[in-house]
Amino acid sequence: MIDKPSPKKRKSKAPGGANEENDRPTVNPPFDVEAFARAATAMPVSGDALKTTHPPPPALPDGEPRSQQTTITNEVELEAARARSAQAPEPAAGRLPSGLLAIANLRSPSAVPPNAGSSTSPPAGTSPSPSNIEAAVLGAIQGSTSAPEITERTIEDPIAEMRERASLGDYTGALEMAELILAADPGSLEAAECAENCRSVLENMYAARLGPSSGVPVVAVPQAQMQWLSIDHRAGFVLSLIDGFSTLEMIIDVSGMQKLDALRILHALVQQRIVAFKA
Amino acid sequence: MEKVIGIDLGTTNSCVAIVENGVPTVIPNRGGYKTTPSMVAITEAGKRLVGHIAKRQAITNAENTVYAAKRLIGRKWNSPQVKNSVATSSYRISQGPHNDVRIVLRDKEYSVPEVSAMVLQEMKLIAEDYLGEPAHKAVITVPAYFNDNQRQATKDAGEIAGLDVIRIINEPTAAALSYGFGKNVEKMVAVYDFGGGTFDISILEIGSSGVFKVIATAGDTFLGGEDVDARVIDWLVQGFRDEHGIDLRQDRMALQRLKDAAEKAKCELSSVRETEINLPFIISSGRNEALHLQRTIDRKTLEDLSSDLIERTVDICRQTLSDARLDKDEIQEVILVGGMTRMPKIQLAVAEFFEREPCKGVHPDESVALGAGIQGSALIDDKHEMVLLDVTPHALGIMTQGGFFEELIPQNTTVPTHRTKIFTTSRDNQTAVKIVVMQGENERAEANELLGEFILTGLRRAAKGSVEIEVTFEINADGIVSVHAKDLETAKEQSIEVTASSGLTRDEIKDMLDNAKDYMVERRTTEEFEAAKQEAEKLVGEIERLLPQVEQIVAASDFGRDAIEKARSIVAKARQAVARRDAAAVKAEIEGLSRTHRMFKGVVAKTP
Repeated sequence: MIDKPSPKKRKSKAPGGANEENDRPTVNPPFDVEAFARAATAMPVSGDALKTTHPPPPALPDGEPRSQQTTITNEVELEAARARSAQAPEPAAGRLPSGLLAIANLRSPSAVPPNAGSSTSPPAGTSPSPSNIEAAVLGAIQGSTSAPEITERTIEDPIAEMRERASLGDYTGALEMAELILAADPGSLEAAECAENCRSVLENMYAARLGPSSGVPVVAVPQAQMQWLSIDHRAGFVLSLIDGFSTLEMIIDVSGMQKLDALRILHALVQQRIVAFKA
Repeated sequence: MEKVIGIDLGTTNSCVAIVENGVPTVIPNRGGYKTTPSMVAITEAGKRLVGHIAKRQAITNAENTVYAAKRLIGRKWNSPQVKNSVATSSYRISQGPHNDVRIVLRDKEYSVPEVSAMVLQEMKLIAEDYLGEPAHKAVITVPAYFNDNQRQATKDAGEIAGLDVIRIINEPTAAALSYGFGKNVEKMVAVYDFGGGTFDISILEIGSSGVFKVIATAGDTFLGGEDVDARVIDWLVQGFRDEHGIDLRQDRMALQRLKDAAEKAKCELSSVRETEINLPFIISSGRNEALHLQRTIDRKTLEDLSSDLIERTVDICRQTLSDARLDKDEIQEVILVGGMTRMPKIQLAVAEFFEREPCKGVHPDESVALGAGIQGSALIDDKHEMVLLDVTPHALGIMTQGGFFEELIPQNTTVPTHRTKIFTTSRDNQTAVKIVVMQGENERAEANELLGEFILTGLRRAAKGSVEIEVTFEINADGIVSVHAKDLETAKEQSIEVTASSGLTRDEIKDMLDNAKDYMVERRTTEEFEAAKQEAEKLVGEIERLLPQVEQIVAASDFGRDAIEKARSIVAKARQAVARRDAAAVKAEIEGLSRTHRMFKGVVAKTP
C-alpha cells in the first residue's frame, strides 16, 4: 500500500534525499528519462555494471514482489503501484484519498491496468471495495453528502493541477489532466504541449522498459490457459497480434492504437508474465 | 544479362517471379510468403506500411489503409466503378485535378498510380533482396478487360516505382503461358480466375509456335474471396449476438480479429472438413467481463454461406461462352487461378459447368506472376520464339448523331488491326464534323470511355447525308490507336493518334518518382541503421554480461585495468551513436565492440 502525501508536502522537500525517497511516489527526473530508463532496464543485478552518466535508479530484479518496494522511482513503477492499489481490497478506514491529486489518480483511465476496462468499475475478477460500498450505503441512509464521490469530484484549477503533476514527474496524471482540459477547450496550447510532452516521456519510458523495438515478443502462456487470464479485450487484441515473428515495432504499428496505449498494454502483459521476449 | 521480373499486380495480393536457369520461380518476401497483400497504409506516426503489415491493421486503421486500388487505377472520377468504390471503401477517395481519382491518407492526397507504385516498389525490393542486385526491367500483368488508360496508369505506376515496364500483358495470358510453359500445346483454354477481390473468366487459344490469343474475357470487379470472408464474419457476428447480445462489428479490434480468423478458417476448410475459430478476449461486456468467441465451422456451412457467390461466377462463365459463341465442348482445358479456386466446392462447380475436371498443374496464386516472368525472360532472350497476340479489350468506335456509339473495331479483335467505315453528314450544309473516339460496348456513347476527339473541316455544303466521310481505325502492335477521317469527295483528311493517359501529367509523374526515390533512400537508411543498431545492442549486452567477471579477473591482476575503461568508453560511444541515429557512427563502433567482446570472451575463457 502506498501512502500518497499531499502535493504541498512533496513540494516542500528537495528531491534526491535518500530518506525522502520513501515518501515520494514520483520524482521529477533531472536527466534524460529515456537514457535513465534504458540504464535501469539494462543494469545487471550485481550492480557492478558499466556506470552511466546518470545517477543509477535502485535495482529492481524482475522477480521481486513489487509490494515490498517502498520507493517509486519512475512513472512506470508508479503505474504498477496504481495497478496494485486498484486491486487492493480497500483503503484503510479514515485514509480515503482526500487530495485532488489522489482522487484524480484513482480516476485516471490511463492508469488502468489491462484487466480493467474502466476506472469506475472494478477490474474483472475482483470485487468492489467493501469500504466504499459501506460508506455509500451509510451516506444514503444518513442522507449525508459525505459519501465518497470519487468519480464526481471536480478539480478547481485543472491547468495548475496539470502543471503540478508534470513538475512532479506524474506524467500519466498530467496527461490525463491535459486531455481533460483539451476535451473542454481544444484550443489550449499549454495543455496540448503538455499532453505531447507527457506522451513522449511515457512512450520513451515504456519503450525503454520493453527493450529494443526489434525484439520479438512471444506469448508465454499456453493456448489452453489463455482464456483464464485476467485481461481485457484491448490486451486480448494486442495478444492476438503476437505471433512469434513480428517485432515489437511491427506490433505497435499494426495495433491501430496510439503508440502509448500499445506500449502500456504490452508492458503490462510483460509485467504479468503473459508475454516474454525471444532471447 | 539483366533479369526481367514478372509482377502480378493483383487487386488483393501481388506476386513477383523470375526465370532462373530456365526455371520460372516465384520470389518469397521477407516473411517467407510468396504473395504480398496489395495494401498500403499510413500509420498515425506517418510511417508507410505495405503488404502483410498493412493488412494486419487494415480494420483498426481503416481510414488510412488502401486496399483494391486496382479497381480505381486509370479510371475517371465519374465512372460507375469509382462511384461504387467511393460508396464502399473505408478510405477517402476524392476527385483529382484531371477528373482522375485521388486517395486521401492522413490528409495527404495520393494518385492511384502512386499508391500502386508503393506496392510495386515493395515487389521490386523483394526481387532485389533475392537477386542481390537492382531490378529495373519488369513485365506487369493487368486484367484482360483493362482499357488503354488503365494499362497506361499501370505503366506509370511502374515508372514511379523505379521500374522500366517493358511489357504489359493480360493476366489470363500470363496464366496460360505458365500452363503452356515447356509444353507444345495447341488448345482452347478457359482461365477461371477467382481472386481475393475480383472474378475473371477468359477464353484463350494457345496456338502452334506458342501463339496465345485471348478470344473472350469478362468478369466482376466486385466479387472475390473477401465476399466469402464477409459471409463468415456475418455468421460469427450473428452467432455472438445471439449468445451475448453484443454486436462485434461495433468494435474495430474485434472486427479485425474476426476478419483474420474468417480468412484463416476459409483457407483451412479447403483442406480439412471443420475448423475451430478461437478468439479469446474478443470484447468486454457491459459488466467489464472479457468475453471469448469460440465456434466450430465446417465445410458445409462455408459452402452454404458462399453458394450464391459461386453461382454468380458460373453465370458469368455461361454468359461469356455465349457471347463468344463457343460451346462448352470446345474448351479443352480449364485453368484455375486465384486463391479461391482451392475451395473444393468451386472446383466442383467449375467441373460441372465445363463438364471436365479443371487442370491442377498450375499454382493458383503464382501462375500469373510466373507467366509474366516467362514473358519477361522471352523478351530479352532471342532464343525464345514466343509470340503473344493480344486482343482489344474493348470495342472502339465513334459517337454518332443522337449520342449513339458506332462500333468500328469489335471487342476481342486481335491486334494489330484496322477497320474502315463510311459515315455521312447529319445536317444540311454541314461543313465540319466532330469525330469523337470512344472505347466500350454500350450503345449509348456517354456510357463508354472517351479516348479523344478531332474536327474534320472544309466539307462541301450539301444536303444532309450526301457528303461521305471515311473513318479508319488502326491499332498497331504497341496498342496505339490512330483514327483517320477523310472526305471522300475532296480527299481532305484529318487524323488523331490516341495516346492512353493515366490522368497524370509528366511533371506529376516526375514529382512522384522523385518522392518515391526519396522514400527508398530513407527506408534503406533506416534499415541500415536498424541492422547496425541491433548488432551494436547485442554486442553491448554481451559485453555488459561479461564485464563483472572480467572486472573480477582484472582486479586480481596488475594488468588490463585500462582495458575496462576503454571498454566502457566504446560502449558509451556506441550508445551515443545509437541515440543520434547515426548509422555510419554505429557501424564504426561495431568494430570496437566486436574487438572488446572477443577480448572479454577470451579473458573469461582462459581464467579457470
